[in-house]
Amino acid sequence: MTFRRLGDRPWRDRPQADAIAWIPPKGATPSRWLTVGEWQGRIGAWQQRLLETPNESDGWRLFEPDPVEFSAALVAIWERGDRVVLPADNQPKTLTALHGTGVALGPAEPMLGSDRSKSSPGRAPQWDSRPLPAVAVSLYTSGSSGEPQRLDKRFDQLDAELATQASLWPLAGRLVVSQVSHQHIYGLLFSILRPLCEYSPFATQPCRYPETLYTWLQYCQATGKRMILVSAPPALSRLPEALDWKPASAALETIYSSGAPLSRSASDLVHERLGTPVHEVYGSSETGGIAWRVQQRESAWTALPGVEVSHGDDNRLWLRSRHLEIPDQWQRQADLIALTDRGFELLGRADRIVKIGGKRISLTAMDRALSGLPGVERAQTLTLQRRDLRLAAIVQLSPSEVPHDHRQHRDTVKRLRRALAAHFETPVLPRYWRFVAPWPTNAQGKLGAEIRQRLFLDLEDRRAPRWLGERVHDSGWRVTLEVPEHCAYVDGHFDGQPVLPGIALVHWAMQQARRLFALTSDFDGLERLRFPQPLLPGDRFEMSLEHRRGDGAESLRLECDSRRGKHVSGRIALVDRQKRES
Amino acid sequence: MTTTALEHELKQMIIETLELEDVTPDDIDPEEPLFVEGLGLDSIDALELGLALQKRYGITLESEAESSRQHFANLKSLAALVESRRQK
Repeated sequence: MTFRRLGDRPWRDRPQADAIAWIPPKGATPSRWLTVGEWQGRIGAWQQRLLETPNESDGWRLFEPDPVEFSAALVAIWERGDRVVLPADNQPKTLTALHGTGVALGPAEPMLGSDRSKSSPGRAPQWDSRPLPAVAVSLYTSGSSGEPQRLDKRFDQLDAELATQASLWPLAGRLVVSQVSHQHIYGLLFSILRPLCEYSPFATQPCRYPETLYTWLQYCQATGKRMILVSAPPALSRLPEALDWKPASAALETIYSSGAPLSRSASDLVHERLGTPVHEVYGSSETGGIAWRVQQRESAWTALPGVEVSHGDDNRLWLRSRHLEIPDQWQRQADLIALTDRGFELLGRADRIVKIGGKRISLTAMDRALSGLPGVERAQTLTLQRRDLRLAAIVQLSPSEVPHDHRQHRDTVKRLRRALAAHFETPVLPRYWRFVAPWPTNAQGKLGAEIRQRLFLDLEDRRAPRWLGERVHDSGWRVTLEVPEHCAYVDGHFDGQPVLPGIALVHWAMQQARRLFALTSDFDGLERLRFPQPLLPGDRFEMSLEHRRGDGAESLRLECDSRRGKHVSGRIALVDRQKRES
Repeated sequence: MTTTALEHELKQMIIETLELEDVTPDDIDPEEPLFVEGLGLDSIDALELGLALQKRYGITLESEAESSRQHFANLKSLAALVESRRQK
């Protein structure tokens, strides 16, 4: 096993002709290997750039998507004895928040396959006796409050982790291909630092798409190379079946996944298509690696060597690990676990941190950002497991801002998403929006699980209306509803203006009445029910319901009104179920 | 199939595949960007769309994925891709 600690500067005395990275083919240009000599030339070029850049601090803020430039910059900064600050992304808000953390390096815009290396010529690197910095990298992650939280990693912490991985799963000279960002701890360790310390080549471009992976695998297969894939659930759970993975996938040695647990079904599919089981690594920026599993062998997580796992009465994870800042002290974490005799299971988190498409996000921060927008009085976000985990927002707008039709709804959603885009990356922006009025609560005054389910019921049931709240009105109830754009009752998509047939309103009225009045009677016909004008998809309207009983007759008084006027008015006759059956 | 009919079919496919609950086919401007600004799609959606194109039209995107993804710029370019490369 080849492994050299970062503390021993493994980048310095490597044979110049060794291949350090693989440059994939591009168009007619065939692939080739980048030598250690060429790469060291990039380190020299960065050293020169740093020399020419005024910086009164000891920190350099590095956002650089190109793995070769990134790794060269990392070494150049360390060789000066300076600290690397890694922003998690290059959102304007993130960069502003980190403004005081040193001088920014790297492109302002993410650009891939850039030719910047040609603009600054390579130069011989300068090695001197300056010590490495006390802090190797500072990562920023969203804490539970949403404020960026700084996490310093010393070389000994990183080395402990790199040594563990090298001993468990040696790279052994295989080609490391990455589908994740090296601005985060997992990508940094697995796709950049492990190859550097284990003298294994890495790909000079991230492998973002399955088609790229497929071509690269074919190359490996044809040239007798073995590949290690550093991936994550968003990519692994979407491997196209149409690609014939079989002969090429034989070149795949190991697949790593981290960032969030991979579902068992996705794990099985990857295993079947790529012929290699997925090694999942569980950890976080704060804790480093904690445990691993291969689901086909065992669904519980096994602690990594050097990591001890325990749990308190409240199921909170306690950790003692060489990857932590204080290695010999038990520390409580936000994750909830259950210990089993084979390891442990993950039960979620005690705080409001979630991961959407591998991006970590604090729901508290999202709620706060949303609540602070003009026209928003109150907001709460939650996750919905729809195809994939996505965010949904429950928002109370000031009365003048409430959308009343499809157009206004779209405009409002666009406006709010655009405002949030300054703070968050696109995949974590709320995808489902419910503009409630008033704020819906249960008898305990809480927006409980039952209400959350009712607010999004139309996603499950194409025939349900979008429910947005209700209040007592006169001697009945007034319910705020919207006609879902893709409601099964709405027809006429191809011939002009689609409308909601009046009979759908009768169905909806009966459903709401059963719940609100605990109705046990059945529909027995319409009484003087008029439908002055139809509702359109996206229309918001108020449904007023009154349950009347007397003189042996039972009925439901129904009115539906929107901004455009009245849509239904009249009575539904009801009949007692038992009477009807007799 | 006429271009407009294909465009309409693709609009339906985008809406259904990505579960865009409040988007109707008329909301998708064929020339407007599908990603980020415009319709607001993201990197997860790009993967989903790639899968849907393979399932529905048998289109395998080429490995030079950067250029393939240019076909995803807007609905017009997507329709052009499907028209020229569909297997079914």
